[in-house]
Amino acid sequence: MSFEEIEHTADRAFRVQGRNFAELLGNAARAMRSLDPLGPSGTPSAVRTIEVEGIDREALLVNWLNEILYMEQTLGEVYDRFQILESSNRHLHARLDGRQSSEGVTHIKAATFHDLAIEQTPEGLEATIVFDV
Amino acid sequence: MLGKHNFVCVAENIWEIPSTFRDDMRVPARVYADEDLLDAALGDNSVVQLVNTATLPGVIKHAIAMPDIHQGYGFPIGGVVATRLPQGVISPGGVGYDINCGVRLLVSQAAVEEIRPFLEEIASALYANCPSGVGSRGHLHLTNTDLDRVLQEGSRWMLEKGYASREDLDRTEEFGRVPGADAGFVSDRARERGRDQLGTLGAGNHFIEVDRVAEVYDQATAAHLGIYSGNVAVQVHCGSRGLGHQVCQDYVSRFQKTVRDYGITLPDRELVCAPCDSEEGQEYFHAMACAANFAFANRQLLTHMIRHSFEQVLAGQIKDFELRQVYDIAHNMAKVEEHEINGHRIRVCVHRKGSTRAFGPGSSVLPEDLRDIGQPVLIPGSMGTASYVLIGTTEAMQQTFGSTCHGAGRVMSRAKAKKMVRGTELRDQLRTRGILICAGSMGGLAEEAPVAYKDVSRVVEVVHRLRIGRKVARLEPLAVIKG
Repeated sequence: MSFEEIEHTADRAFRVQGRNFAELLGNAARAMRSLDPLGPSGTPSAVRTIEVEGIDREALLVNWLNEILYMEQTLGEVYDRFQILESSNRHLHARLDGRQSSEGVTHIKAATFHDLAIEQTPEGLEATIVFDV
Repeated sequence: MLGKHNFVCVAENIWEIPSTFRDDMRVPARVYADEDLLDAALGDNSVVQLVNTATLPGVIKHAIAMPDIHQGYGFPIGGVVATRLPQGVISPGGVGYDINCGVRLLVSQAAVEEIRPFLEEIASALYANCPSGVGSRGHLHLTNTDLDRVLQEGSRWMLEKGYASREDLDRTEEFGRVPGADAGFVSDRARERGRDQLGTLGAGNHFIEVDRVAEVYDQATAAHLGIYSGNVAVQVHCGSRGLGHQVCQDYVSRFQKTVRDYGITLPDRELVCAPCDSEEGQEYFHAMACAANFAFANRQLLTHMIRHSFEQVLAGQIKDFELRQVYDIAHNMAKVEEHEINGHRIRVCVHRKGSTRAFGPGSSVLPEDLRDIGQPVLIPGSMGTASYVLIGTTEAMQQTFGSTCHGAGRVMSRAKAKKMVRGTELRDQLRTRGILICAGSMGGLAEEAPVAYKDVSRVVEVVHRLRIGRKVARLEPLAVIKG
C-alpha cells in the first residue's frame, strides 16, 4: 500500500509514500480519491492534461491536489487515474483519466499545508497530508 | 509530549500554558475547559496547534481555546487569536476554508404540537426545496454583475431581490454585510466554484434542523428574542461553499511566498499570514469579506426556501407558523475590532476559527433592540442532541475578545465513526426517539453520529459558569436535513 489513512479528529489525513517525487504525487492523488468512493457511472470518459506549479515540493504537492479538486468541482468530472508525465521540484505536467459524474463530485474542501513536510526515507519519500472535509 | 503538567490552572476552568513553554511563543496559551474537556483536548493534536498560534507576529494577550476545542489544520477548531494592528498579522488558515461557516436560528409562534402531524411533510419539503449534498446547485442563475453584488452586498442584495426582510438583516452579524468586501480580489476560479452554489447546504456537518424549544433559562431575554418554551424553531448551519474554499486556497498558496518576503518564521505552513495592514493582508481581507458575504447570502436564500417550505405545507392548516429570525452568527471569520486590553482601547484583528462572537450588552455594533441584552449566540449540538441559545456577556468582552464556543466539538475521527456506526441504523434509532432524518448519504450521516462529538451541554455549562456566554434556551431536534 502506498498510502494509509491516519487518525485526525475533524478532517482526514493520510501518510503517503513514493519511491520518488513523481510516485508520491500520484499516490497522494490516489489517497485523496479513496475518500470519494464513487462507483462507475458508465458515462463517457474524460481525459485532461494539466500543468501545476509551486514554490517548492510541498507547495507543488498541495497545489496539485487542489487543482484536481478544482477541476472535479467545476467540470463535474471524477478522475481515478493519475499519470505524472513530467515533474521537477516546482512544476509538474500530468494526465488525468476519469469520467463525467452526474451523481455529484468530491466532498473535500481542500488539501492543506498542515504539518506538511516531504521527508526522505530508506524506501524513498514520505509525506503526511491533511484534507479539510 | 504536551500534557496536563504543562498547564497552570489560573482560575477555575481556565488553564494556561506559559509563554516560556516554547521559545517561539509570544504570549501564553489558554484553554477554557473543565478537567474532562481538557483531557479530551489533550487526546489529539489540538493543544499543540493552539501553542503554534501563540507564535504569530503581533498576537496579543493570550491564544485562546474554547471548551469545544479539537484538532483542525493550522489553527485548532475552537480557537480565538487576536493580533495587534497595524503590525499584527492576518492568517487565511486562521479563518479556514469554509469562510463564515455559521448558524442561523428562526423561531415560530406555533407550538410543536400544532405542527407535529405535518412534520414528515415539512421535512420532505425542506429536503426537496433546499439543495444539499456534494456538488449541489442552487436555484438562482447569477450573472457576473449579480455575483459581484452578492460578494460586496451579502444579505443586502437578498433584501433587494425580495429574499430577505429588513428584520432579517438587523438580526444578522454585521447586518449581513461585512464591510471592506472588494470582488476585484476574488479569483475567477473562486467565482466559478461558487457561481451556482448560492442557496445550497452542502455536505459534512452542515444541516437544517427543525427544533422544539425544550427549556427556557432566562424568560426575559428569551421573550425579547421571541423564544418561548414548546414552540417550533429552525436552525441552518452552512457556509460559503466552494467559493470560500477557493478564496482560502488562493491566499494560503500565495502567502507561502509572502511569509518569506516578510521574514516571518512559523511552526506550521498552514499558519501562513501577512501583516494585516499590508497590501497582501488587505487583499486577503477584501476577498475574505466577499466570501463571508456570500455565506450570509447563502443562509439568507436557504431561509427563504425554508419559509417557502413551511408555507407550502402549513398554509391553511395552522396559524402563526411564520418564521422570524432570532440571529445569524459566523464562526469562521477574521474581523477588525477594538477591545480594551490593560486599560487601553486597542485595534486588533480577531481570528475566530470554530468560535463565536459573543458581544455583551452595550456594544455599539449591535442593533438598537439588542444593545440592552447583548448579542444572541447560537450553539448547535451534534445530530440528535440539544442545541443552545446563549447571550453575549461583558465578561466575554473582558476575557476572550468577546468570544465563546461554537458547538459540541468532535472527539472521534470521521473514519472511526464510520467504522463504528451504520448510517441506516443511526437513522432508525433517531426515528424511534422521534427525530426524522433526511440525508443524501448514509456514510456522511454515520460520520456525524452523536458518539463522535463531545457533550454539548457540558461545553455550554463551562462557558455559562465562566460567564463568557449566558444560557437563554435549549432546543431539541425534531427533524434533521443533511446532504
